[in-house]
Amino acid sequence: MDTSIWIVFFTGLTAGGLSCMAIQGGLLTSSLASQIETQVQVTRKKKKNQKINLPLAQPIFLFLIAKLVVYTLFGVLLGALGSVFDPTPQMRGGLQIAIAIFMLGNAMRLLNVHPIFRYFNFEPPTSLRRWIRRKAKGQENWFSPLLLGAMTVFIPCGVTQTMMALAVSTGSPVQGGLIMFAFTLGASPLFFLLTCLATKLGALMEKYFVRFVALALVIFAFLSLDSGLNILGFPYTISRLTNASRVNANTIPRIDDRANFPSVSVNATPEVSSDVVVYANNDGYYPYESLATAGVPITLRLKTNNTISCSRSFIIPSLNIKALLNATGEKIIEIPPQKAGTTLAYSCSMGMYTGVIKFQ
Amino acid sequence: MSTVKKTFRIPDMHCSACVMKLEGLEDDLPGVRMVQASYQKQSMVVEFDDGMVSEGEIRKAIRELGYTVEDR
Repeated sequence: MDTSIWIVFFTGLTAGGLSCMAIQGGLLTSSLASQIETQVQVTRKKKKNQKINLPLAQPIFLFLIAKLVVYTLFGVLLGALGSVFDPTPQMRGGLQIAIAIFMLGNAMRLLNVHPIFRYFNFEPPTSLRRWIRRKAKGQENWFSPLLLGAMTVFIPCGVTQTMMALAVSTGSPVQGGLIMFAFTLGASPLFFLLTCLATKLGALMEKYFVRFVALALVIFAFLSLDSGLNILGFPYTISRLTNASRVNANTIPRIDDRANFPSVSVNATPEVSSDVVVYANNDGYYPYESLATAGVPITLRLKTNNTISCSRSFIIPSLNIKALLNATGEKIIEIPPQKAGTTLAYSCSMGMYTGVIKFQ
Repeated sequence: MSTVKKTFRIPDMHCSACVMKLEGLEDDLPGVRMVQASYQKQSMVVEFDDGMVSEGEIRKAIRELGYTVEDR
């Protein structure tokens, strides 16, 4: 097999599983929540002190199988489509925000805040329900995780998007399919373990179970909302404010900086320049805040060194600039002249890592 | 012998899994022709042949599934 396929597999095994958890983990938790809730109720009715044995492995396994199949097929499609596939940051940002609303609504539903939140529960149409019920008598719970697993193709994390872009760039359906298969397969073990642990923990806290799941959903929802706003280039998000507070800490050489860039040291007071250098590390962009000369074209140098995280998928939403960085190297982006006082917000394509360029 | 359509309120449906469970009566209880449950409305509509199954038997079957059944 092609060596690059193995690299893709190990990227999934290491970065992929963790990166996808924030959004997809939330969706799966929503799905499992209903099943576990039912199971807990049934067990309670049967015997008060009976230990709850949750069938967790099966739904997570089904979720991952569906994901693997659909992502592979999508990889084939991407390879075939080549450069035609090009979702805008606005589309991705909007989708992330919609997901956040969905999760918040589900959290409110679990907490029984108002009957209106019941409409956030996904329910297939009656005819489909009947078909499923008759096809899978006695195993009604398989449909939801299977469908959700397939649906995650619409909400890929940054690392996954990088792989999707890679699949597009091959221009070959076979290579595209292989890339997505290897990556999704690689990401599966970690995803399985993390989801299993998280949900088991929830079940152990049976008394507080609904509140625990609802809280998890609220956290995932805010992460998703934050990412969505970052992708849209909104300058006041929680992650941007947190990153901004890091600006002064940039003078201290970070351990992970040294791992990625042995020679990086960022000045306490960054110079105003028409030549801006930003390091795309595995854990984000450094420095968070760069200063650039107003009124003249700016050369933005994005540097990578063995970077495998989604910081490689770079966007400046307000200028509609998108770039896929090589794992190691330098990508030059020309930024047109900006007025003094302008702040250009950039992020990775999933809105997880952020930074700004201020023009003076 | 005639077809009767009756709506019941089920106040303790938790999710769509409950919906599917209640709709299973359509297959399990002879005389029941159609069941359409709604988690959002917390209700279920049952169409049944009153010569083959009574309303009381339907209520009993719902309770046996672990749900409360009320008039709507």
